[in-house]
Amino acid sequence: MKRRIRIAIPSKGRLSQPSIQALQDAGINVRRKERTYVSETSDSRFEAVFARAFDVPIYIQYGAADLGLTGHDVMLEREADVHELLDLGFGKSRLVVAVPENSAINSIYDIPAVARVATEYPNLCRKYFDGFGKQVEILVVRGTAELAPRLGLAQIIVDITETGETLRRNKLKVIAAILDSSCRLACNRIAYRVFESEINELLDKLRSGGTLTK
Amino acid sequence: MTFIKLQTPRGTKDYLPPEVEQRRYVEQKLTEAFESWGYQEIRSPAIELVEVLSTGVGSELIDSMFKFQDFDGKIVALRAEMTAPVARIVTAKMLEAPMPIRLFYISNVFRYSQSYLEREREFWQAGVELIGCNTPEADGEVLSLLVSSLMKLGLEGVRIDIGHAGLLKDLLRATGLEKEKKDVLQNLLGYRDEDRLEEFMDQNNFSPDLKEVFLRLSRCRRLEELSSALLKMSEYGRTDDYLRALVEVNDALADYGAENFVFFDFSLVRKIEYYTGIVFEASVPNLGLPLGGGGRYDNLIEKFGKLKIPATGFALEIEKCLQALTAQGCQLSEKPKVKVLVASRFRDLAIKAANSIRGAGIAALLDITRRSKKEIVRYAKCSGIDYVVFVDSSLKKPAAIYDIRLDTVKNMTIKGFLQSVEADQK
Repeated sequence: MKRRIRIAIPSKGRLSQPSIQALQDAGINVRRKERTYVSETSDSRFEAVFARAFDVPIYIQYGAADLGLTGHDVMLEREADVHELLDLGFGKSRLVVAVPENSAINSIYDIPAVARVATEYPNLCRKYFDGFGKQVEILVVRGTAELAPRLGLAQIIVDITETGETLRRNKLKVIAAILDSSCRLACNRIAYRVFESEINELLDKLRSGGTLTK
Repeated sequence: MTFIKLQTPRGTKDYLPPEVEQRRYVEQKLTEAFESWGYQEIRSPAIELVEVLSTGVGSELIDSMFKFQDFDGKIVALRAEMTAPVARIVTAKMLEAPMPIRLFYISNVFRYSQSYLEREREFWQAGVELIGCNTPEADGEVLSLLVSSLMKLGLEGVRIDIGHAGLLKDLLRATGLEKEKKDVLQNLLGYRDEDRLEEFMDQNNFSPDLKEVFLRLSRCRRLEELSSALLKMSEYGRTDDYLRALVEVNDALADYGAENFVFFDFSLVRKIEYYTGIVFEASVPNLGLPLGGGGRYDNLIEKFGKLKIPATGFALEIEKCLQALTAQGCQLSEKPKVKVLVASRFRDLAIKAANSIRGAGIAALLDITRRSKKEIVRYAKCSGIDYVVFVDSSLKKPAAIYDIRLDTVKNMTIKGFLQSVEADQK
């Protein structure tokens, strides 16, 4: 009945390399090979799959992966019913509402009755604006939300920012923060039951692996 | 849009014969399991008044119901689960029945998924309700029946995780936190992130005792360990009673021989609101989603009338059971049944032969196409038929019998043929 424990890792983007590093610090070296779906690791109990950071929560919730590393923001956006076992400390970022620097909008309350928001996070975005009674039109974009105001696609964006550099470069200012995020180790609820001892061992190693800044 | 005539609505699907066969297998096994414990089947309408279906289930489920207006102006909905309808039936039609009442159902239920994950909107549930009893024996029976039903399906590694709706509620209340923070705390318990849980409790000035209780319960996996948590916690609402109840359920499970299948999960919550006591979820290691679950609901039935009747039950999703069985590589049908195609130039004789084959308990199809022998055999090969019997001018005479699998022909009387098939099956 015992099989390998499958860990989903972001295949690219800002969380990919630190995730591989965190696992390595915890004694799991991922041997990533091109054109293979499942990668072996130095610990024969674990195997790795690479997936888009946005898809990792789905992989975990449905048990296609037992464990996975991805942002808390993505986990909430995908409404994943999973355990978030550990805050890995890296990938600290903030989901913010931003508008062009020269915009008259300086807070959520200044948002006009008719406004378009470009975002990769339609779910969190909808909930946030609903909370303020703001009826905004939400446009789902993939990747480059920060271009939307310049191209006239939307007056407002909701996007993730680490240092604020990209926003500044695109002449955008932050008017509100929706949530703080960082990379988490998430776990399928049933896999946690099956592999509790192995997973706890991994948690201990991740805690002492030096990756955690806390 | 040309193809719209060929589609089914989003989240619904057709079940073709091979899939129906697999589903029927699961349904039959579960029916046998439920009936062998004395549960009786009930059926109820797929459409009910929205007031009935909304009673006690909570806003999340109400939001997910397909609702529409009846001709008389009343709002009706498709059932989204079966416990509320059963509660209505018991109150309206079975109050005279001696308690406890044991009922089961296999029904389709409908939920409108608002999430952008496209889930099935019509799915099938098989469940039981044990009504009129709140003893540990009643909880023990329902849990043991759940284990036994899943094992009867042929599943391995069956596991039930149980929590307690009242225990979690009372302890959250004992924290004295405001609603938002309670939600955060409940999330952290669900996340199983101990670091952040401790951090949160420190930030919110939990007493060392309360902190200890939360940590201990969230680490506890075995019901019998709960008795050791007992003494320390008398000051937090009815928590002690609930813990004692869980330990008693465990004692009952031990007598059923089911205690090794059942684990404690403090953070376990169900999306439906009517649960008051134990709540649980069933799973197997090969499937990442629970097969189903249930719990005790002692306040639901009184919401339909005046009588407070305690009850408990569970529901399994047929689809999930099938997925689990497939993942474990289980056989999903009984021994395949033999099918015979009967053809003859003499229609009356063909019908007589087919009837006598059916009489022997073997499925017989009649050739109704007036095709040539060659075409009939070709049809049989493609249609999962085992034998073709060509009846001659008398039933006494040997018929030409094609064995489709072996691709051979033998001359045998119908009687002799039936005897040989019977011998094969043994």
